[in-house]
Amino acid sequence: MPGSCEAAITLTGDLHARPAGSLSVMAARFASVVELTVGANTADAKSVLAVMGLGATRGQRITVRAAGADAAEAVAALIGILAEATPVGG
Amino acid sequence: MSDEAMVGIVLVSHSAALAEGTADVAGQIGGGSVVIAAAGGTDDGGIGTSIARVRRAVQRAAAGAGVVILPDLGSSVLTVRALLAEEDFADPVALADAPFVEGAVAATVAAAAGGDVKAVLQAAEEARHARKL
Repeated sequence: MPGSCEAAITLTGDLHARPAGSLSVMAARFASVVELTVGANTADAKSVLAVMGLGATRGQRITVRAAGADAAEAVAALIGILAEATPVGG
Repeated sequence: MSDEAMVGIVLVSHSAALAEGTADVAGQIGGGSVVIAAAGGTDDGGIGTSIARVRRAVQRAAAGAGVVILPDLGSSVLTVRALLAEEDFADPVALADAPFVEGAVAATVAAAAGGDVKAVLQAAEEARHARKL
């Protein structure tokens, strides 16, 4: 049953390469289309290069939006990773 | 997914330091679960490529699911092609037409997510279109 889901979180650290990789590896496990939006920019969460290209930094609001059968699970998993992302570089 | 073999990545560069450094970066971003084998420099450690080093790297990276090879420039491609022409590996082996650093990162993430050779190759080659700014 296709559905859609959306949630947002304020970043406590910059979205460095390492958390971007974690996000994309996790996003790829879901069948749903998953997007990240920061300001005017939206990236396919399954593309690590697109996620890094967002250049999201601490204090910015990031929205996770998913559409598909496992949309709710995908959004919950990605919000979990974003909540854990730390200001430490990587 | 984690109990299945992942696609391995081979980075072929004219420079051992470039291959190893790129492997380090891609490994960090990919979470460390993917085998990334560096094959840089000549047999005597100079700038160039070595068919023997590439062969050993493919053997290290092959875990049953296949191997995607990323060459840096020019004769890296020729060296890989020469190897693939003279040797049949048990794993499927694909040569990616991709930017070296971005392709390595995208391929590693695709492999870590459980992608097959086709998916990893596609991720590497799509890196050509990713904007940095």
